[in-house]
Amino acid sequence: MTTDTTSPDFKSVIVPPPEGSLVLEIRKLNFFYGQHQALFGVDLPVKKNAITALIGPSGCGKSTLLRTINRIYDLYPGQRAEGEILFEGENLIGPKVDVAALRARIGMVFQKPTPFPMSIYDNVAFGVRLHSSKSKAELDELVESSLRKAALWDEVKDKLHKSGLGLSGGQQQRLCVARGIAVNPEILLLDEPASALDPISTAKLEDTLEELKSDYTIVIVTHNLQQAARLSNYTGFMFLGKMVEFGPTEELFVKPKVDKTGDYIGGRFG
Amino acid sequence: MSAETKSPRFDPTDPIFRWVSFGAATLLLVVLGGLIASLVYGGWPALSTFGLEFFLKFKDCPAGHGGHFCIDTPWNPVTDVYSATAPIVGTIVSSFLALLFALPIAIGVAVFLTQFCPRALAQPLSTAVELLAGIPSIVYGMWGLFVFAPWFAKTIQMPLMVAASQDPTSWGAKLVAGIPNGANLFTASIILAIMVLPYMASVFRELFRSIPAQVREAAFGVGATPFEVTTSVIIPYVKQGMIGVIMLGLGRALGETMAVTFIIGNSHRFPKSLFDSSSTIASTIANEFAEATSDLHTSALVALGLILFLITFTVLAIARWLLSTQRY
Repeated sequence: MTTDTTSPDFKSVIVPPPEGSLVLEIRKLNFFYGQHQALFGVDLPVKKNAITALIGPSGCGKSTLLRTINRIYDLYPGQRAEGEILFEGENLIGPKVDVAALRARIGMVFQKPTPFPMSIYDNVAFGVRLHSSKSKAELDELVESSLRKAALWDEVKDKLHKSGLGLSGGQQQRLCVARGIAVNPEILLLDEPASALDPISTAKLEDTLEELKSDYTIVIVTHNLQQAARLSNYTGFMFLGKMVEFGPTEELFVKPKVDKTGDYIGGRFG
Repeated sequence: MSAETKSPRFDPTDPIFRWVSFGAATLLLVVLGGLIASLVYGGWPALSTFGLEFFLKFKDCPAGHGGHFCIDTPWNPVTDVYSATAPIVGTIVSSFLALLFALPIAIGVAVFLTQFCPRALAQPLSTAVELLAGIPSIVYGMWGLFVFAPWFAKTIQMPLMVAASQDPTSWGAKLVAGIPNGANLFTASIILAIMVLPYMASVFRELFRSIPAQVREAAFGVGATPFEVTTSVIIPYVKQGMIGVIMLGLGRALGETMAVTFIIGNSHRFPKSLFDSSSTIASTIANEFAEATSDLHTSALVALGLILFLITFTVLAIARWLLSTQRY
């Protein structure tokens, strides 16, 4: 590994998606865990109805970056962000933002499956019930369509009222995806959603994401470079808390503009 | 290993060590068994004299009483007639009331400590909760009798009774009837609640902490408010453990002696209202053991001890079982 840990000479090379196609834009974002700075002036344009992947070695800040977008870091005193996260013309970093409402619009799926201690049906309906009052029939329909989109319906349709904790890991993760899309978010954030899954479950999850792309904007953090290359339309490569390179996935993987990106993708460090 | 090395199997200290540890474990069982045996032996005269009437004794209903049956609660060293019903009821009612008061506050403390508390405040607050748990019960009892009970009688009980006197037959008036000295079932329950509160709060805090951060984040991640996350996800997640903790708290409240003896009023009858004096098994034993002169009286007190032992044993057994079936 090269020794540029302290070097300030990272120059982000950003090839943004076409003008007007963005749903969210992060500009000059700094992030702090107490005294420790984890992100340094990160830029990230997120294209609507596309999959944006974030790659980079462990500890590069990609999960941290993802966690700023729905302000989940707010739960922890001492964590704070500076800069701009523009979502529909509004800076999400600010005291005036209603975080509960924001998180309904920007959903998140985590590394490990996080089913709630309730039935499969209630897991999916959980977020919906918080934000709207739907009739039983409407709710039934929504639960079914969400589970179908998450490619889980056929496996659970006969046990909707059994506990979500009884499902396998892969099923639980797709349940979490169903729960995330049931509230119809504009953006879905996925933090290494396949890292705890076996290859078959991973493939199913990837199929799910592929299908969701037409309706949702997806930002996914992944360790798996093939996954990023397979799935995403745009990729950002991060290193040491900085966005090294961002651009269309094919360009970034085939013809990286920064040597560092090429080194990482080529497996020369990481 | 060389051939000359003695195999540990032939080490002479090994069996000794094994037998010593076995003996220590056995001793515990012997003590427990001996305790039960001596309680049964000591309580037997009373249990055999009064039979089932020791637990529940009926009497002829007074004229004009509308009910179908009436329960007698004699506890009379002069005529040597004893029945445990009143202290059993007093024990159970005071403990349940104490839990009723302590539970919401304990949950509130634990939720605040795990969810909202600024880091600078978390440590002092946790320490305070643990210190509260360490105060000897006699101190609580003394404080209850000299400080809390008079205050309660003056600022709460008296005004309530005055208000109730407008309509002495009302439901509310019956609930607050009693001697306004502050030594009653209600104040005893509050003191008990204060005593079990720190224990329950600190174990709840541990339970809430055991929930994976990601589950909490996921609940917030779909846009739930802290209240919704707490009631819909966090508490259901550790529900079984919480019930176990509640039962452990109940076990403590049931057996608590000194503080209750100070403040419950010590009368051997069913409490007729919330503010009526009462007694518990533990307070009865503590009050009377030194003065029990007849053999039957002493035996009745020992039998009370046996009953208390069985009640707490059952409660703790249920608690252990619930905690062991907790899936997380």
